[in-house]
This record gives sequence, C-alpha cells and structure tokens, in this order.
Amino acid sequence: MNLADAAGTMNPLATIGAASLLTALATALFATFAAPIAHLTRRPVLGLAARRALIVTALFTTAGIATLGIALLRNDFSLAYVAGVSSRGMQAPMKWASLYSQQPGSLLYWTWAMSALMAVFAWRTLPRIPWGAGHATAICGATLTGFLIALVLLASPFHVSPVTPEDGVGLNPLLVDPGMLIHPPFLLTGLVSTAIPFALGLAALIAGRLDLAWLRAVRSWALFSWLVLSIGNVLGGWWAYTVLGWGGYWGWDPVENSAILPLLPMTAFLHSAMVQERRGMLKQWNLALVVAAFALAVFGTFNVRSGLVDSVHSFAQSEVGSYFLILLAIALAASVGLMLWRLPYLRADHDFESLLSRESALIVNNYLFTAIALVILGGTLFPVFSELFVDERITVGPPFFNRVVGPLLIALVALVAIGTVLPWRRAANETLARRFRDPAILTLISAAALFALGIREPRALVAIVAAVVLIAVTLREFVLGARGLHAAGHAWPATVMALFARDQRRYGGYLVHIGVAVMAVAVVGSTIYQQQFRVAVAPGESFEAGGRTLHYDGLREHTGLQNGIERELVAPLVVTQEGLTVGHMAPGRRLFANFPQQPTAIVALDTSFRDDLYVFVQGWDDDQVAEFHVFVNPLMFWLWLGAGVYVAGGLLAWAPLTSPLPVSEAARTATQTQRA
Amino acid sequence: MRIPARRTLIVVIIAILAGVLVAMPVGRASAQTPDIEVRALAIERTLLCPQCTNLRLDVCDTQLCSDMRAEIRERLSRGESTQQITDSFTERYGVRVLADVPPTGFNRLLFVWVGGSLLLVAAVGGFVLVRLRRTASPAPEIQASDTADDAWLDDQLAADREAR
Repeated sequence: MNLADAAGTMNPLATIGAASLLTALATALFATFAAPIAHLTRRPVLGLAARRALIVTALFTTAGIATLGIALLRNDFSLAYVAGVSSRGMQAPMKWASLYSQQPGSLLYWTWAMSALMAVFAWRTLPRIPWGAGHATAICGATLTGFLIALVLLASPFHVSPVTPEDGVGLNPLLVDPGMLIHPPFLLTGLVSTAIPFALGLAALIAGRLDLAWLRAVRSWALFSWLVLSIGNVLGGWWAYTVLGWGGYWGWDPVENSAILPLLPMTAFLHSAMVQERRGMLKQWNLALVVAAFALAVFGTFNVRSGLVDSVHSFAQSEVGSYFLILLAIALAASVGLMLWRLPYLRADHDFESLLSRESALIVNNYLFTAIALVILGGTLFPVFSELFVDERITVGPPFFNRVVGPLLIALVALVAIGTVLPWRRAANETLARRFRDPAILTLISAAALFALGIREPRALVAIVAAVVLIAVTLREFVLGARGLHAAGHAWPATVMALFARDQRRYGGYLVHIGVAVMAVAVVGSTIYQQQFRVAVAPGESFEAGGRTLHYDGLREHTGLQNGIERELVAPLVVTQEGLTVGHMAPGRRLFANFPQQPTAIVALDTSFRDDLYVFVQGWDDDQVAEFHVFVNPLMFWLWLGAGVYVAGGLLAWAPLTSPLPVSEAARTATQTQRA
Repeated sequence: MRIPARRTLIVVIIAILAGVLVAMPVGRASAQTPDIEVRALAIERTLLCPQCTNLRLDVCDTQLCSDMRAEIRERLSRGESTQQITDSFTERYGVRVLADVPPTGFNRLLFVWVGGSLLLVAAVGGFVLVRLRRTASPAPEIQASDTADDAWLDDQLAADREAR
C-alpha cells in the first residue's frame, strides 16, 4: 500500500484513537520528567502541572478506549482488532467483552484503568502528601509511559487492515457469557491498582518518609487494590464454574495462578502494615510487599500475554511479552536499589515483647503468604524450565497444587484463629490461658464430633475444625466488643453499628475472616467430597443424583440466537424430590458459526443449601440417548455466600465513611479499660 | 442484660457442624455404578487431554478424549491394571498427559523448590522473629535539611502568610 492509498483510505476512528494514545504518551512523559525537575528546581507550579498531566493522560486514554468502543459498536471492521473480536451478529452489551478479549484491547483496558486510578490518586491523595507528591507523580508517569509505549508501538488496537472484511470473526466462544462482562474488568482493575501502593512505597523511599505518613496514605489504596483483586478472583472462579464445564471453580491454570499471585503479597501487606502502625516494625518488609504485588501483577500480565507457560516457543515470538519482562526488571531493579539506599531508615522503632503476641502471629501470617506465593510461582513457571532444560513438556496441575498449597492454606486458617485470640504486645500467662481455654475445648470437641460422625480424611478434618474455631473466636470478638459498648450505655440494636463505626478496619477484617472460614469449609466439601458419574439416558427415562430424580424427555434445538451462536442443543431435565418438582435444568451444547471446532458446554446447575447438582451433556446419539456428566458438589452455595461475606467485610473496612457514628466518650474509655 | 455469649456460640457451632455433616456424603453408599466405571473415572481424573491445555480427560469433549475413555474401559474389562493403562498413555503422548507431576528426573527440582521455599521462609522467618525480639534500635533522625530545602520552606511560609 503506498502513501496515496493510505491517505485515501484514512480511517477517522483509527486516527483519533491512535492520536489519543500518542498524546497520552506525551502527557505521561511530561509527568515523568516535569515532576523531578520541579522538585529539584523548587518550582511548585511545575510540580502541579506534572500532577495535572496525570489527569490529562487519563482523559486521553479515555478518549482512546471510547474510540475503540465506538468502532466496535459501529462494526468498523476496517480495524483489524474489531474484525478479530466482534461481528455483526453480536449484541451491543457483549461487545464490551470484545473490547478487552484480546491482547491489544486488554492492554488498552489495562492502561486506561491504570491512568484513571492514577488520576483519582493525583486528584485526591497527592495534595495530602506534600512530602512525596512529586516522587509519586514521576513514578506514576513512568509506569504509564511504560504501558503506553507498548500500546502505541507494539500492540495498538488501532491498526487498519488492508482489506475490510464484510463481517468480523466474533468473540471467542468461551467468552460469550454474561460473566465475561464483569469478571475481566474487576481482575484487570485489581491488577493495575497495585501500581498505586507501589508508587507510594517508592515515593516514601525516595523521600525518606517511612514512618506512619506513607502508611496512612497507602492504606485505603492497598485495601482497594486487595478488594478489587479479590472480587476479580471470585468472579473468575464463578465464571470457570458456570462456563468451562469441568465441575470445579479453580483449576490452578497458569492464568488463574497469575491472577491470584498479586493478591497474596497485598493481603500480607494489609496485615503487616498493622504491625508497623502499632509497633513501628517491618518497614522494609512492607515496602517489599507492595513492590512484590506490583511486580507479580506485571508478571501475570506478561505471563498471560506472552503465552509463556503454554509453550516456551511463543516466548521469543511475542514482542510484548519480552517487553513486559524488561519493564518488570526495571521496576524490580529500581525498587531494590532504592531500598538498599534507604536501609538506615528501615530499622524498627520497637522490638517484640513476646512471641505469643498478635504481632508475631501477623508476622507468621506473612511467612505463610510468602511461602504460598513462592510455591505457586514455582509451580506455574516449572513447565517452562522443564521444556527449556530437558525438553520435556509437563503439566503442573491441580494435584500438585492441592497437595502443596492445600496444607499451607489450612495452616493459614488455623493461624488466623490463633492470632485472633492472641493479644497485642504481651500478656500474662494466666490471661493467655484464659483466652485460649474455650477455643482449645472447642477444637477438641469439634474434632472428636467430626471424626466420630465419619469425617476421616485428615485434611478435611483439620480444615473444618480450624474454620469452625476461627468463626467462633471471631464471633466472640464481636460479642465482647458489643458487650463493652452496651456496658457503656449503647442500646443493643445500635451496638454492632457502633462497633463498625469505632473501628471499621478491625471489624471489617473480622468479617472477612468469617467469610474465609466459610469458604474454607465449602472448598473442603466441594473438592474432597465431590461425587462424579456419567449416565446415558434415553428420552422418557430418569436417573438419580444427589438425592434428586432427574427426568429426561429428549433434545431440543434452539436457533435464531445472537452473539455468533449458530444453535444450541439442550437436554431439558425436570428435577423432582420426593415426588415434587423442585427445578428445571437445561444442560446442552452451544455451537458457533465461526468456530465450528469449538462448541462450548452449557452447564446446568441445581443449587441447594446442601449441594449443587452440576450437569452437562457429554454427547448423544441418533436416538437422542444423551450421556450426562453429573457432579454433586457439596456446600457450593456456601462458597459464594462466604465470598459475599468476605467482600462485604472488605467494603466495610475500606469504605470511606466520612461521618462515623458518634461514639460517646464514656463508651470509648469503658472499652479501653475493658481491653486493658 | 448480658449477651449469653457462650450459649450463642455453642448453638452456632453445633449448627455449623451439623450443616457440614448433612452436606458431606460421608459413609453414604455411592450410586450403584459398576466397578469398572468407577475405576475408569478415577483413571480419567488423573489424565489430561493431550490436545487441550490443562483440561482433564473426564471433562474434555474432543473425539480423541472420547476414544481414550472408551479405551480405558475396554482395557479395564480385559483385566489391565490402572498403572498399566496410565503408563501406556504416558508412553504414547508424553508425561504431559499426567495431571500430577511425576517426582522423577528433572521434576525433582520442583519438589526441591517447594521444600527449599518452605525451609527458607522458616529459617529466615525464625531468625528475624528472634532478632526482632532481641534488638531494639530507634530509627535514625531525619537528616538535617539542606539550604535549598530551607529556602523552599521559607517561600512556602511566606506564601502562607500572604494568603492570610
């Protein structure tokens, strides 16, 4: 194509989009360099300009993503990206998923979300931290620059294809699901949000302000990041469960591992930050954690983008993959260098008073998170090494991770229970004995009861006992707190509200722990006690599953569907229990016009408090005899409920409640005396 | 009035335990599935589709997997052992069809990594805990600011005074 042709076919949307991203790159570069110059030459106005440049960058990336959105809505298949991920038959809402379904689009979403968060950060947080605003601005600018370079030079979604196809290919069949409309945005936003604690941490290092100032500034951003990452992971599990059709929700796939890895140091940080806040310890460690969270988020993006783990050979092929590796190396080198430079500031202000204290439990909690992260990282990357060094393709699958990470997670739940009982600083032996007496009795009794009633699998037994004790000791904290407030004159109905108002983070955190405990029991139930069988059924016949009878009456075909679906074949099932109809299920197969080799399963669920019936159709013959694959997954309802409690607790801990409920001075002193 | 804390908790705990026990199919006789089917499914769960990525044989829909499943049943009915069947699939498609990593050859390194990570965290962690307990040193004072800092501070103070 010569220049004249290019000019003749100039595509307005592609031009606007590319120009927006290029301008965003320019403003990000300005922020990167103007901020340090302003600092060195003491020009506050220039510093303010740099900060505002971050906001302007967000405006231009917004223009970029909006342009791509418009191109998708207008079916502008002259854009190679639009033609690859969308088609005329797709409904407008589903095109939101097309936006980030492939590399250039997801990179644009990544960068847009990051710039938007950084704009909020520049607008709300930076003005309050004059000691580090300039440094943080420069780091945000540099991070944005790194991603915008990839977006502009290596993987632009605004490439115009030489030939405009009549229709696009459409969305990948696995992604044609409403879950795809919310799961990736949460996950991607969670991943990019780790950039803000990272920027604050480095700014604090440069400024030498490793006291409470940076912790105060980073707190709500770290909580936000942790919360959004958590929601992203839960939604990912839910999507996998309801769409992928393998009976489970977490398969330790490299992509899933990449998503959970940054969450581990972020969770550890929320806990160790408390130790620094209260006791002035762990400063270096806290910095290392926010750096690790960001590094793992970039690593995850690189991992997913480069196809590194699926095959080593795509490693060299993907420019973006190796580019991210370079970005990662730069970020890590800069962080480690800064930490070494500021080592003298990173000494602890206090020492431990007792190993049997809340702070030491929190530190051991960090060790467990570190061990879990190292093991998952090793397991995720090991296939690469295997292929590289001994040229053997292996799979590190769920059995390995369940065996290694499972016990560590159980230990974590047990440790949370112990930590909840331990007091801060130190306590007399009698106090410890008194606080531990009831939980110890409960441990023994519940273990004996579960064992006597048939739960003999050691992991299941330990995990359930740990979770039950955790729920009990956490509820005890609520009761004790409420009782203290009541004694100080609060009416009963208001005490729980007052508890959250008095210490949002503490009680929000406790709620998260309860959610984790409930999820732990559900995970044990749905993995260790999962039942699975296949059954071939002719029309008119029934079969039993999970105490219910399922009646099959033959296949139905649905046509005239949207979003690239050619037709659906479903095998409706009527669910009865003791003669009463309790539900209808419609498992089947979905066939796509443009992806004939990729039919997807339609999973049907019948959920009860006790268990999920999980059914999909594995095949059928000419006489419509269908082969059903049935899983009975105990306690699945509780997994999602636990996740809901977890998220609610996280929201309570994070929500900036501007006007906390008034707590009377009397109540405050009373509870303080009681706690002392 | 006191919240009857202990009683409330006991009720809650009993409810949780009872709920767990009702849900778990403990000791319940498994469906009247024939022995071969149970054993075949157990083998399928330890194998992966040779074509797809990280998809277990029992839930994969490709023709190849369907054939493999039929083959497992056929060989089980001929009296072959689980080990024999697994070995022949490994021979045919390579170790990557095994869902679990066999702890042999180069793979031992993965287990060394796991053990090493745990030992490292335990050793360094233990050391740090003990050291944190023994030593206490106050953070160094923030270093005295240089003249440029002072000048900037003066500017800010002056601006502040003007603003008032």
